[in-house]
Amino acid sequence: MASQASADLVWEIVRNNNSFLVKRKASGGVQFSRDSLNLTNKNARKWAGFVNDQAIGVVAAEKDAVKVLSKKTSESNKPAKAITETVYSGGKSARKTYVAVANQAAKSNYRADLREAAVARASAIRHSYKTPKPSPELKLRGSKAKKASE
Amino acid sequence: MASRPTVTIISKDGTPSGATHPIPTVFSSPIRPDIVQQVHTGMAKNKRQPYAVSEKAGHQTSAESWGTGRAVARIPRVSGGGTHRAGQAAFGNMCRSGRMFAPTKIWRKWHIKINQGQKRFATASALAASAVAPLLLARGHQISSVPEVPLVIDSAVFEGGAAAKTSSAFAILSAAGASADVLKAKKSKKLRAGKGKMRGRRHRQRRGPLVIYDPEVDGTELVKGTRNLPGVETCSVYALNLLQLAPGGHLGRFIVWTSAAFKALDSIYGTTTTPSELKKDFLLPSNVVSQADLSRLINSSEIQSVLRAPKGTSLTKRSGIQKNPLRNKQIMLRFNPYHSTFVKNGLGQQKAEAGKPPKTAEAFLNVLKED
Repeated sequence: MASQASADLVWEIVRNNNSFLVKRKASGGVQFSRDSLNLTNKNARKWAGFVNDQAIGVVAAEKDAVKVLSKKTSESNKPAKAITETVYSGGKSARKTYVAVANQAAKSNYRADLREAAVARASAIRHSYKTPKPSPELKLRGSKAKKASE
Repeated sequence: MASRPTVTIISKDGTPSGATHPIPTVFSSPIRPDIVQQVHTGMAKNKRQPYAVSEKAGHQTSAESWGTGRAVARIPRVSGGGTHRAGQAAFGNMCRSGRMFAPTKIWRKWHIKINQGQKRFATASALAASAVAPLLLARGHQISSVPEVPLVIDSAVFEGGAAAKTSSAFAILSAAGASADVLKAKKSKKLRAGKGKMRGRRHRQRRGPLVIYDPEVDGTELVKGTRNLPGVETCSVYALNLLQLAPGGHLGRFIVWTSAAFKALDSIYGTTTTPSELKKDFLLPSNVVSQADLSRLINSSEIQSVLRAPKGTSLTKRSGIQKNPLRNKQIMLRFNPYHSTFVKNGLGQQKAEAGKPPKTAEAFLNVLKED
């Protein structure tokens, strides 16, 4: 059974109030989403993964891996089976990971419009695993440099 | 609709029992949050008890105005002497120990009449929404391990008071994948902020699943079995309550059906054409828009066949935009054919190559500044 209500109808019902929505008065009343199937964390029709029939989510996983969630269209009313998870291990090269993520989003008539955001999110997650470079020691200037050299 | 969709009936251990049931027509009723919200606000008011301040409050004094000429405001003042109270203003809503503005009365209109048709519409609408997984997620229910929405458990599981104990009732719910929602409700119990604590509303907590049963088949033991599970509510299928089906007026309550209750929905609500057996003069509401999926509408052959073909190619020439000659060399050459020679010979740098202009002589500057 496909869902009784279309994604368009569901979106009109939940757009102003849902459990994932984060509303803040700062910055002109920004609206974000805590949905794991949301690639940009924005509360918008395009990114609302829990509403759309097809959606991609990219989340961090253990051991520097990137986990991609995607929704099965055929199992829309079976929550236990609706989401497939694919893990791309941290050992896999960045380029190969991004190609795989991009293909998962855009191949076989899935959501080509999500490709760029999915890759960007995967990249950001990978970047977050890196230990930051130690900042170089400050070079002394002017009189302090003179004193140090003496 | 080609074939009527069916729902799997799950057995005690959460696996499909093999039996299925066609989904009752009530689940395809229109989902109307506006109607549900309006009916909910009305119904939520029908349990209120009257309250009011005392009729005498603020008037238990023999104050009289001093009139004009005493250089004080003309508000009534407490008579007499010998105490600080004498001479103080009284009665007014702006006065200390005065009467409140517009004192509350017990004959306020506490209850709201809601038309029966609207109540039935709202109930049908809330039931339809309970079968839409995204709406359940939007309400915040934890349904990631639920095998199917709507979730129907075989009535045989509840037979003979099998859910009479809390532990056995919880075991049945967790086998069906509903334990996450129960535990969420259990963990959510918090002390209420504010005065409500002392007014019988001490705690606030989330709502868990709503178990709907048929008392004739399932018995009522499961009510006792689940009543100590926080957030879990039970309801007979013959007495559904919108306050439980859409708490807070928000659609998409997570409902656990017993198979007998699920089957009873057919006779309780009927269809859009055959009237209900139990409700007098009731036909299910039908959808105004039968296809609400916009992308399917747009891509349908009926729409596509009457549309004009797109003009031009996917790459359109931007005629109105002027490019910047300072950044774009070809555009610069179109404006200024001499530009290439100018750049090649370095004519722009000639003055710079000559070096800095000589410093003004100090004698000259002294003459200039002389007063």
